[in-house]
Amino acid sequence: MQFSIKRTLFVKKLNDVQRAISSKTTIPILTGIKLALTDAGLMLTGSDADISIEAFISATDEKNELEIGSTGAIVLPARFFSEIVKKLPEDTMTLEVKDNFQTELRSGSASFTINGLDANNYPHLPSIDTEKQVVIDANVLKQLIAQTVIAVSTQESRPILTGVHLVLDNQELLAVATDSHRLSQRKLHLDIDKDIHYDVIIPGKSLLELSRTLSDDVETVEMRIAENQVLFVAGTISFYSRLLEGNYPETSRLIPSSSTTQVEFNAPQLLAAIERASLLSHASHNNVIKLTLDPAKDDVTIYGNSPDVGNVQETLTHSNLDGEQLEISFNPDYMKDALRSFGQTEIQVAFTSALRPFTLVPTEDQDHFVQLITPVRTF
Amino acid sequence: MEKQKLYDSFVQLEADAKRMLARIDEMQTDLMQVLERDAELEIENQHLRERLQEIQAAADKKSERPKTAAAPRLSKSRANLKKLYKAGFHVCNQMYGSRLDDDEPCAFCLDVIYGERR
Repeated sequence: MQFSIKRTLFVKKLNDVQRAISSKTTIPILTGIKLALTDAGLMLTGSDADISIEAFISATDEKNELEIGSTGAIVLPARFFSEIVKKLPEDTMTLEVKDNFQTELRSGSASFTINGLDANNYPHLPSIDTEKQVVIDANVLKQLIAQTVIAVSTQESRPILTGVHLVLDNQELLAVATDSHRLSQRKLHLDIDKDIHYDVIIPGKSLLELSRTLSDDVETVEMRIAENQVLFVAGTISFYSRLLEGNYPETSRLIPSSSTTQVEFNAPQLLAAIERASLLSHASHNNVIKLTLDPAKDDVTIYGNSPDVGNVQETLTHSNLDGEQLEISFNPDYMKDALRSFGQTEIQVAFTSALRPFTLVPTEDQDHFVQLITPVRTF
Repeated sequence: MEKQKLYDSFVQLEADAKRMLARIDEMQTDLMQVLERDAELEIENQHLRERLQEIQAAADKKSERPKTAAAPRLSKSRANLKKLYKAGFHVCNQMYGSRLDDDEPCAFCLDVIYGERR
Protein backbone atom coordinates (compact mmCIF):
# COMPACT_ATOMS: atom_id res chain seq x y z
CA MET A 1 0.00 0.00 0.00
CA GLN A 2 1.44 3.32 -1.06
CA PHE A 3 -0.04 6.76 -1.71
CA SER A 4 0.68 10.46 -1.52
CA ILE A 5 -1.85 13.14 -0.56
CA LYS A 6 -2.33 16.81 0.17
CA ARG A 7 -1.59 17.10 3.87
CA THR A 8 -4.08 19.83 4.95
CA LEU A 9 -7.00 17.86 3.58
CA PHE A 10 -5.76 14.64 5.11
CA VAL A 11 -5.44 16.31 8.53
CA LYS A 12 -9.02 17.55 8.29
CA LYS A 13 -10.39 14.08 7.56
CA LEU A 14 -8.16 12.63 10.24
CA ASN A 15 -9.66 15.01 12.80
CA ASP A 16 -13.18 13.96 11.81
CA VAL A 17 -12.43 10.29 12.25
CA GLN A 18 -10.50 10.78 15.45
CA ARG A 19 -13.61 11.96 17.28
CA ALA A 20 -14.67 8.34 17.50
CA ILE A 21 -11.35 7.07 18.80
CA SER A 22 -10.96 6.82 22.52
CA SER A 23 -7.74 6.01 24.37
CA LYS A 24 -9.80 4.17 26.97
CA THR A 25 -11.01 1.21 25.01
CA THR A 26 -11.13 -2.40 25.99
CA ILE A 27 -10.24 -3.56 22.48
CA PRO A 28 -6.61 -2.52 21.87
CA ILE A 29 -6.86 -2.32 18.08
CA LEU A 30 -9.53 0.39 18.43
CA THR A 31 -6.88 2.84 19.65
CA GLY A 32 -5.73 2.74 16.03
CA ILE A 33 -7.06 4.30 12.89
CA LYS A 34 -7.76 2.15 9.88
CA LEU A 35 -6.69 3.25 6.42
CA ALA A 36 -8.04 1.28 3.51
CA LEU A 37 -6.94 2.21 0.03
CA THR A 38 -8.80 1.06 -3.06
CA ASP A 39 -8.72 2.32 -6.62
CA ALA A 40 -11.73 4.50 -5.83
CA GLY A 41 -10.02 6.29 -2.97
CA LEU A 42 -8.93 6.20 0.66
CA MET A 43 -11.27 5.26 3.50
CA LEU A 44 -10.38 6.28 7.07
CA THR A 45 -12.12 4.51 9.97
CA GLY A 46 -12.15 5.25 13.68
CA SER A 47 -14.27 3.57 16.34
CA ASP A 48 -14.74 3.13 20.08
CA ALA A 49 -17.26 0.30 19.70
CA ASP A 50 -20.13 2.68 20.57
CA ILE A 51 -19.67 5.06 17.68
CA SER A 52 -17.71 4.62 14.46
CA ILE A 53 -16.82 7.27 11.93
CA GLU A 54 -15.76 6.68 8.35
CA ALA A 55 -14.37 9.39 6.09
CA PHE A 56 -13.80 8.85 2.41
CA ILE A 57 -11.22 10.66 0.28
CA SER A 58 -12.05 10.20 -3.37
CA ALA A 59 -9.30 9.53 -5.89
CA THR A 60 -11.28 11.22 -8.66
CA ASP A 61 -11.55 14.59 -6.89
CA GLU A 62 -8.65 16.76 -8.11
CA LYS A 63 -8.57 18.84 -4.93
CA ASN A 64 -7.52 15.86 -2.85
CA GLU A 65 -4.29 15.38 -4.86
CA LEU A 66 -4.53 11.71 -4.01
CA GLU A 67 -2.05 9.65 -5.97
CA ILE A 68 -2.32 5.92 -5.52
CA GLY A 69 0.80 3.79 -5.87
CA SER A 70 -0.61 0.47 -4.73
CA THR A 71 -3.79 -0.46 -2.81
CA GLY A 72 -4.07 -2.17 0.58
CA ALA A 73 -5.04 -1.56 4.22
CA ILE A 74 -3.30 -0.85 7.52
CA VAL A 75 -4.14 0.12 11.12
CA LEU A 76 -1.91 2.80 12.66
CA PRO A 77 -1.81 4.08 16.27
CA ALA A 78 -4.16 7.05 16.04
CA ARG A 79 -2.58 9.43 18.50
CA PHE A 80 0.99 9.21 17.19
CA PHE A 81 -0.10 9.05 13.57
CA SER A 82 -2.20 12.21 13.69
CA GLU A 83 0.38 14.14 15.69
CA ILE A 84 3.08 13.19 13.21
CA VAL A 85 0.94 14.07 10.21
CA LYS A 86 0.06 17.46 11.70
CA LYS A 87 3.73 18.32 12.20
CA LEU A 88 5.14 17.15 8.89
CA PRO A 89 7.01 19.94 7.03
CA GLU A 90 5.71 19.96 3.44
CA ASP A 91 2.30 20.36 1.78
CA THR A 92 2.18 16.82 0.54
CA MET A 93 2.98 13.58 2.32
CA THR A 94 3.63 10.03 1.23
CA LEU A 95 2.68 6.88 3.12
CA GLU A 96 4.07 3.49 2.32
CA VAL A 97 3.46 0.17 4.08
CA LYS A 98 6.54 -2.07 4.13
CA ASP A 99 7.12 -5.57 5.51
CA ASN A 100 5.64 -6.57 8.89
CA PHE A 101 3.20 -3.64 8.84
CA GLN A 102 6.05 -1.15 9.21
CA THR A 103 4.77 2.08 7.77
CA GLU A 104 6.92 4.86 6.41
CA LEU A 105 5.69 8.46 6.35
CA ARG A 106 7.64 10.93 4.26
CA SER A 107 7.24 14.64 3.70
CA GLY A 108 10.08 16.76 2.40
CA SER A 109 13.23 15.59 4.11
CA ALA A 110 11.43 14.12 7.16
CA SER A 111 10.87 10.41 7.34
CA PHE A 112 9.06 8.45 10.08
CA THR A 113 8.68 4.73 10.41
CA ILE A 114 5.89 3.56 12.74
CA ASN A 115 4.62 0.12 13.63
CA GLY A 116 1.22 -0.68 12.23
CA LEU A 117 -1.23 -3.53 12.83
CA ASP A 118 -2.90 -5.96 10.49
CA ALA A 119 -6.09 -4.36 9.15
CA ASN A 120 -7.74 -7.79 8.95
CA ASN A 121 -7.99 -7.79 12.75
CA TYR A 122 -9.96 -4.54 12.80
CA PRO A 123 -13.63 -5.12 13.64
CA HIS A 124 -16.01 -4.91 10.72
CA LEU A 125 -18.50 -2.09 10.78
CA PRO A 126 -22.12 -3.18 10.62
CA SER A 127 -23.57 -3.10 7.15
CA ILE A 128 -26.79 -1.14 7.07
CA ASP A 129 -28.57 -1.55 3.81
CA THR A 130 -32.11 -0.38 3.95
CA GLU A 131 -34.27 1.31 1.41
CA LYS A 132 -36.00 3.32 4.07
CA GLN A 133 -33.61 6.19 4.40
CA VAL A 134 -34.59 9.53 5.89
CA VAL A 135 -33.07 12.74 4.57
CA ILE A 136 -32.91 15.68 6.96
CA ASP A 137 -31.57 19.18 6.44
CA ALA A 138 -28.23 19.34 8.27
CA ASN A 139 -28.97 22.63 10.05
CA VAL A 140 -32.39 21.42 11.18
CA LEU A 141 -30.84 18.22 12.51
CA LYS A 142 -28.15 20.18 14.35
CA GLN A 143 -30.83 22.36 15.92
CA LEU A 144 -32.90 19.34 16.89
CA ILE A 145 -29.87 17.76 18.54
CA ALA A 146 -28.94 20.95 20.40
CA GLN A 147 -32.50 21.36 21.65
CA THR A 148 -32.99 17.83 22.92
CA VAL A 149 -29.54 16.75 24.09
CA ILE A 150 -29.62 19.27 26.96
CA ALA A 151 -32.30 17.22 28.70
CA VAL A 152 -30.53 13.89 28.36
CA SER A 153 -29.63 12.23 31.65
CA THR A 154 -25.96 12.03 32.59
CA GLN A 155 -26.54 9.36 35.20
CA GLU A 156 -25.76 5.79 34.30
CA SER A 157 -28.26 4.52 36.86
CA ARG A 158 -30.97 4.80 34.24
CA PRO A 159 -29.18 4.06 30.98
CA ILE A 160 -32.28 4.39 28.85
CA LEU A 161 -32.60 8.07 29.77
CA THR A 162 -29.08 8.82 28.48
CA GLY A 163 -30.53 8.60 24.98
CA VAL A 164 -32.81 10.67 22.80
CA HIS A 165 -36.02 8.92 21.84
CA LEU A 166 -36.74 9.28 18.12
CA VAL A 167 -40.12 8.29 16.80
CA LEU A 168 -40.86 8.57 13.11
CA ASP A 169 -44.44 8.06 12.12
CA ASN A 170 -46.62 9.41 9.36
CA GLN A 171 -43.97 11.87 8.08
CA GLU A 172 -43.55 13.30 11.55
CA LEU A 173 -40.29 12.99 13.48
CA LEU A 174 -40.61 13.31 17.25
CA ALA A 175 -37.47 13.67 19.36
CA VAL A 176 -37.78 13.48 23.14
CA ALA A 177 -35.18 13.53 25.90
CA THR A 178 -35.69 13.62 29.64
CA ASP A 179 -33.66 13.04 32.79
CA SER A 180 -36.94 12.96 34.77
CA HIS A 181 -36.27 16.46 36.15
CA ARG A 182 -36.92 18.20 32.85
CA LEU A 183 -37.96 17.19 29.38
CA SER A 184 -37.41 18.51 25.91
CA GLN A 185 -39.50 17.55 22.92
CA ARG A 186 -39.08 18.58 19.31
CA LYS A 187 -41.30 17.73 16.35
CA LEU A 188 -40.32 17.90 12.70
CA HIS A 189 -42.28 17.40 9.55
CA LEU A 190 -40.36 15.43 6.93
CA ASP A 191 -41.19 14.97 3.27
CA ILE A 192 -40.64 11.24 3.15
CA ASP A 193 -42.46 8.05 2.36
CA LYS A 194 -45.51 7.63 4.58
CA ASP A 195 -44.67 3.99 5.22
CA ILE A 196 -41.45 4.73 7.04
CA HIS A 197 -41.88 4.05 10.72
CA TYR A 198 -39.12 4.00 13.33
CA ASP A 199 -38.94 3.96 17.11
CA VAL A 200 -35.35 4.11 18.36
CA ILE A 201 -33.25 5.50 21.21
CA ILE A 202 -29.93 7.04 20.18
CA PRO A 203 -27.32 7.75 22.90
CA GLY A 204 -27.13 11.50 23.58
CA LYS A 205 -23.35 11.34 23.46
CA SER A 206 -23.43 9.97 19.92
CA LEU A 207 -25.75 12.73 18.75
CA LEU A 208 -23.51 15.35 20.29
CA GLU A 209 -20.50 13.93 18.45
CA LEU A 210 -22.53 13.75 15.27
CA SER A 211 -23.48 17.40 15.43
CA ARG A 212 -19.82 18.32 15.99
CA THR A 213 -18.87 16.29 12.93
CA LEU A 214 -21.37 18.13 10.73
CA SER A 215 -19.37 20.92 9.12
CA ASP A 216 -21.04 23.97 7.64
CA ASP A 217 -20.64 22.82 4.04
CA VAL A 218 -22.83 19.75 4.63
CA GLU A 219 -26.39 20.45 3.51
CA THR A 220 -28.32 17.28 4.13
CA VAL A 221 -27.87 14.22 6.30
CA GLU A 222 -29.18 10.81 5.43
CA MET A 223 -30.32 8.62 8.31
CA ARG A 224 -30.58 4.85 8.04
CA ILE A 225 -31.64 2.58 10.85
CA ALA A 226 -31.01 -1.13 11.30
CA GLU A 227 -31.65 -3.56 14.12
CA ASN A 228 -29.31 -2.05 16.73
CA GLN A 229 -27.37 0.54 14.75
CA VAL A 230 -28.06 3.89 13.19
CA LEU A 231 -26.05 5.34 10.33
CA PHE A 232 -25.88 9.01 9.41
CA VAL A 233 -24.32 9.84 6.06
CA ALA A 234 -23.23 13.47 5.65
CA GLY A 235 -21.20 14.17 2.53
CA THR A 236 -18.11 11.96 2.62
CA ILE A 237 -18.56 11.13 6.32
CA SER A 238 -20.43 8.10 7.60
CA PHE A 239 -21.34 8.12 11.28
CA TYR A 240 -22.42 4.87 12.93
CA SER A 241 -23.85 4.68 16.41
CA ARG A 242 -25.11 1.89 18.61
CA LEU A 243 -28.74 2.22 19.66
CA LEU A 244 -29.87 1.91 23.26
CA GLU A 245 -31.93 -1.16 23.92
CA GLY A 246 -35.04 -1.12 26.04
CA ASN A 247 -38.32 0.69 26.27
CA TYR A 248 -38.31 4.43 26.64
CA PRO A 249 -40.79 5.51 29.30
CA GLU A 250 -44.04 6.96 28.07
CA THR A 251 -43.45 10.72 28.00
CA SER A 252 -46.42 12.19 26.16
CA ARG A 253 -48.54 12.10 29.30
CA LEU A 254 -45.94 14.10 31.23
CA ILE A 255 -46.70 17.20 29.19
CA PRO A 256 -49.76 18.88 30.67
CA SER A 257 -52.52 19.58 28.18
CA SER A 258 -54.11 22.44 30.10
CA SER A 259 -52.84 25.19 32.35
CA THR A 260 -54.14 27.60 34.96
CA THR A 261 -51.59 30.41 34.68
CA GLN A 262 -49.90 31.64 31.50
CA VAL A 263 -47.35 34.35 30.89
CA GLU A 264 -45.10 35.44 28.03
CA PHE A 265 -41.46 36.49 28.17
CA ASN A 266 -38.66 37.47 25.86
CA ALA A 267 -36.33 34.47 26.14
CA PRO A 268 -32.96 36.31 26.32
CA GLN A 269 -34.34 38.82 28.85
CA LEU A 270 -35.69 36.07 31.07
CA LEU A 271 -32.43 34.17 30.70
CA ALA A 272 -30.43 37.20 31.86
CA ALA A 273 -32.69 37.62 34.91
CA ILE A 274 -32.48 33.92 35.81
CA GLU A 275 -28.70 34.07 35.48
CA ARG A 276 -28.59 37.00 37.90
CA ALA A 277 -30.82 35.25 40.40
CA SER A 278 -28.84 32.02 40.15
CA LEU A 279 -25.65 33.81 41.22
CA LEU A 280 -26.87 33.56 44.78
CA SER A 281 -28.87 30.35 44.58
CA HIS A 282 -25.73 28.51 43.48
CA ALA A 283 -24.11 29.45 46.76
CA SER A 284 -26.87 27.87 48.82
CA HIS A 285 -27.29 24.19 49.43
CA ASN A 286 -30.48 23.58 47.51
CA ASN A 287 -30.03 25.81 44.43
CA VAL A 288 -33.60 26.97 44.07
CA ILE A 289 -35.18 30.17 42.87
CA LYS A 290 -38.76 31.18 43.48
CA LEU A 291 -41.10 32.76 40.97
CA THR A 292 -44.30 34.51 41.97
CA LEU A 293 -47.00 35.43 39.49
CA ASP A 294 -49.82 37.73 40.48
CA PRO A 295 -52.22 38.42 37.60
CA ALA A 296 -54.32 40.79 39.73
CA LYS A 297 -51.36 43.14 40.13
CA ASP A 298 -49.86 42.14 36.77
CA ASP A 299 -46.64 41.36 38.59
CA VAL A 300 -44.01 38.65 38.03
CA THR A 301 -41.10 38.51 40.46
CA ILE A 302 -38.23 36.12 41.02
CA TYR A 303 -36.46 35.61 44.31
CA GLY A 304 -33.18 33.94 45.07
CA ASN A 305 -32.02 33.33 48.59
CA SER A 306 -28.82 32.00 50.04
CA PRO A 307 -28.78 32.20 53.83
CA ASP A 308 -24.99 32.56 53.93
CA VAL A 309 -24.60 35.27 51.31
CA GLY A 310 -27.79 37.25 50.88
CA ASN A 311 -30.83 37.43 48.67
CA VAL A 312 -31.99 38.82 45.36
CA GLN A 313 -35.34 39.99 44.05
CA GLU A 314 -36.20 41.15 40.56
CA THR A 315 -39.44 42.18 38.89
CA LEU A 316 -39.61 40.68 35.41
CA THR A 317 -40.72 42.31 32.19
CA HIS A 318 -43.52 40.16 30.82
CA SER A 319 -46.69 40.28 28.75
CA ASN A 320 -50.09 38.61 28.65
CA LEU A 321 -50.05 37.39 32.23
CA ASP A 322 -53.28 35.55 32.78
CA GLY A 323 -54.90 33.03 35.12
CA GLU A 324 -54.53 32.24 38.80
CA GLN A 325 -52.03 33.55 41.29
CA LEU A 326 -49.08 31.20 41.75
CA GLU A 327 -45.84 30.72 43.60
CA ILE A 328 -43.42 28.12 42.28
CA SER A 329 -39.82 27.12 42.98
CA PHE A 330 -37.43 25.49 40.54
CA ASN A 331 -33.80 24.78 39.76
CA PRO A 332 -32.47 27.76 37.76
CA ASP A 333 -29.95 25.61 35.86
CA TYR A 334 -32.72 23.68 34.11
CA MET A 335 -34.40 26.96 33.27
CA LYS A 336 -31.17 28.36 31.83
CA ASP A 337 -30.56 25.33 29.62
CA ALA A 338 -34.13 25.47 28.39
CA LEU A 339 -34.06 29.19 27.65
CA ARG A 340 -30.76 28.97 25.76
CA SER A 341 -32.29 26.41 23.43
CA PHE A 342 -34.93 28.92 22.35
CA GLY A 343 -32.50 31.57 21.14
CA GLN A 344 -33.81 35.03 20.29
CA THR A 345 -37.54 34.56 20.58
CA GLU A 346 -40.68 35.19 22.59
CA ILE A 347 -41.81 32.29 24.73
CA GLN A 348 -44.94 31.34 26.57
CA VAL A 349 -44.70 29.70 29.97
CA ALA A 350 -47.70 27.75 31.23
CA PHE A 351 -48.19 26.58 34.83
CA THR A 352 -50.74 24.16 36.26
CA SER A 353 -49.94 24.32 39.96
CA ALA A 354 -46.96 24.84 42.22
CA LEU A 355 -46.47 21.09 42.32
CA ARG A 356 -46.94 20.15 38.68
CA PRO A 357 -44.36 20.55 35.91
CA PHE A 358 -44.60 23.70 33.80
CA THR A 359 -43.92 24.13 30.10
CA LEU A 360 -42.08 26.60 27.91
CA VAL A 361 -43.03 26.93 24.24
CA PRO A 362 -42.21 29.49 21.54
CA THR A 363 -45.12 31.93 21.29
CA GLU A 364 -45.09 31.75 17.48
CA ASP A 365 -45.13 28.00 17.03
CA GLN A 366 -46.50 26.18 20.05
CA ASP A 367 -46.69 22.71 18.57
CA HIS A 368 -43.19 21.82 17.49
CA PHE A 369 -41.03 22.55 20.48
CA VAL A 370 -41.73 22.06 24.19
CA GLN A 371 -39.47 22.32 27.21
CA LEU A 372 -40.83 20.99 30.47
CA ILE A 373 -39.39 21.69 33.92
CA THR A 374 -40.37 20.01 37.16
CA PRO A 375 -40.65 22.29 40.19
CA VAL A 376 -38.64 21.59 43.29
CA ARG A 377 -40.49 19.90 46.11
CA THR A 378 -41.28 22.49 48.72
CA PHE A 379 -42.29 21.62 52.22
CA MET B 1 8.30 10.89 88.48
CA GLU B 2 7.33 12.39 85.16
CA LYS B 3 6.49 8.96 83.76
CA GLN B 4 4.23 8.13 86.67
CA LYS B 5 2.34 11.34 86.07
CA LEU B 6 1.95 10.63 82.41
CA TYR B 7 0.63 7.16 83.15
CA ASP B 8 -1.84 8.49 85.72
CA SER B 9 -3.23 11.05 83.35
CA PHE B 10 -3.56 8.39 80.69
CA VAL B 11 -5.59 6.20 83.03
CA GLN B 12 -7.67 9.19 83.93
CA LEU B 13 -8.29 9.91 80.24
CA GLU B 14 -9.31 6.32 79.64
CA ALA B 15 -11.83 6.46 82.44
CA ASP B 16 -13.20 9.72 81.05
CA ALA B 17 -13.54 8.26 77.57
CA LYS B 18 -15.37 5.23 78.96
CA ARG B 19 -17.77 7.43 80.85
CA MET B 20 -18.31 9.52 77.75
CA LEU B 21 -19.09 6.41 75.69
CA ALA B 22 -21.61 5.25 78.26
CA ARG B 23 -23.26 8.66 78.09
CA ILE B 24 -23.40 8.58 74.30
CA ASP B 25 -25.04 5.17 74.42
CA GLU B 26 -27.56 6.43 76.90
CA MET B 27 -28.35 9.48 74.83
CA GLN B 28 -28.74 7.41 71.71
CA THR B 29 -31.31 5.21 73.38
CA ASP B 30 -33.14 8.30 74.59
CA LEU B 31 -33.06 9.81 71.12
CA MET B 32 -34.46 6.64 69.58
CA GLN B 33 -37.29 6.69 72.07
CA VAL B 34 -38.06 10.32 71.33
CA LEU B 35 -38.01 9.69 67.59
CA GLU B 36 -40.31 6.73 67.90
CA ARG B 37 -42.69 8.71 70.03
CA ASP B 38 -42.54 11.55 67.54
CA ALA B 39 -43.46 9.27 64.66
CA GLU B 40 -46.28 7.73 66.67
CA LEU B 41 -47.65 11.13 67.59
CA GLU B 42 -47.46 12.27 64.00
CA ILE B 43 -49.47 9.30 62.82
CA GLU B 44 -51.92 9.78 65.66
CA ASN B 45 -52.22 13.47 64.79
CA GLN B 46 -52.92 12.61 61.18
CA HIS B 47 -55.64 10.16 62.15
CA LEU B 48 -57.22 12.76 64.36
CA ARG B 49 -57.08 15.35 61.58
CA GLU B 50 -58.72 12.92 59.18
CA ARG B 51 -61.42 12.23 61.74
CA LEU B 52 -61.89 15.94 62.31
CA GLN B 53 -62.21 16.53 58.61
CA GLU B 54 -64.82 13.78 58.38
CA ILE B 55 -66.81 15.32 61.19
CA GLN B 56 -66.53 18.75 59.65
CA ALA B 57 -67.54 17.46 56.23
CA ALA B 58 -70.57 15.79 57.78
CA ALA B 59 -71.45 19.00 59.57
CA ASP B 60 -71.00 21.00 56.36
CA LYS B 61 -73.33 18.66 54.55
CA LYS B 62 -75.97 18.93 57.21
CA SER B 63 -76.00 22.70 57.29
CA GLU B 64 -75.81 22.71 53.47
CA ARG B 65 -73.17 25.37 53.54
CA PRO B 66 -71.45 25.83 50.21
CA LYS B 67 -67.96 24.45 50.64
CA THR B 68 -65.06 26.78 50.09
CA ALA B 69 -63.39 26.13 46.78
CA ALA B 70 -60.65 23.80 47.93
CA ALA B 71 -58.22 22.14 45.57
CA PRO B 72 -59.49 18.78 44.32
CA ARG B 73 -58.46 16.28 46.93
CA LEU B 74 -56.23 13.38 46.07
CA SER B 75 -57.53 9.90 46.56
CA LYS B 76 -56.20 8.10 49.58
CA SER B 77 -53.78 5.92 47.64
CA ARG B 78 -52.39 8.90 45.76
CA ALA B 79 -52.05 10.87 48.98
CA ASN B 80 -50.04 7.97 50.29
CA LEU B 81 -47.75 8.08 47.26
CA LYS B 82 -47.42 11.81 47.70
CA LYS B 83 -46.33 11.24 51.27
CA LEU B 84 -43.66 8.81 50.11
CA TYR B 85 -42.52 11.24 47.44
CA LYS B 86 -42.30 14.04 49.96
CA ALA B 87 -40.28 11.78 52.21
CA GLY B 88 -37.75 11.57 49.38
CA PHE B 89 -38.54 8.38 47.49
CA HIS B 90 -39.42 7.71 43.88
CA VAL B 91 -42.96 6.49 43.36
CA CYS B 92 -42.79 6.20 39.57
CA ASN B 93 -42.87 2.86 37.80
CA GLN B 94 -39.27 3.14 36.65
CA MET B 95 -37.55 3.86 39.95
CA TYR B 96 -40.11 2.88 42.58
CA GLY B 97 -38.69 2.92 46.08
CA SER B 98 -35.25 4.33 45.36
CA ARG B 99 -34.10 7.60 46.88
CA LEU B 100 -34.56 10.89 45.05
CA ASP B 101 -31.00 12.07 44.47
CA ASP B 102 -30.20 15.42 46.09
CA ASP B 103 -33.91 16.12 46.50
CA GLU B 104 -34.24 16.54 42.74
CA PRO B 105 -37.82 16.48 41.51
CA CYS B 106 -39.03 13.65 39.26
CA ALA B 107 -41.55 14.32 36.50
CA PHE B 108 -42.62 10.67 36.32
CA CYS B 109 -43.44 10.60 40.02
CA LEU B 110 -45.48 13.78 39.74
CA ASP B 111 -47.41 12.23 36.89
CA VAL B 112 -48.17 9.18 39.02
CA ILE B 113 -49.37 11.36 41.90
CA TYR B 114 -51.22 14.12 40.10
CA GLY B 115 -51.61 12.90 36.53
CA GLU B 116 -54.94 12.04 35.01
CA ARG B 117 -55.51 8.35 34.48
CA ARG B 118 -56.84 7.79 31.04
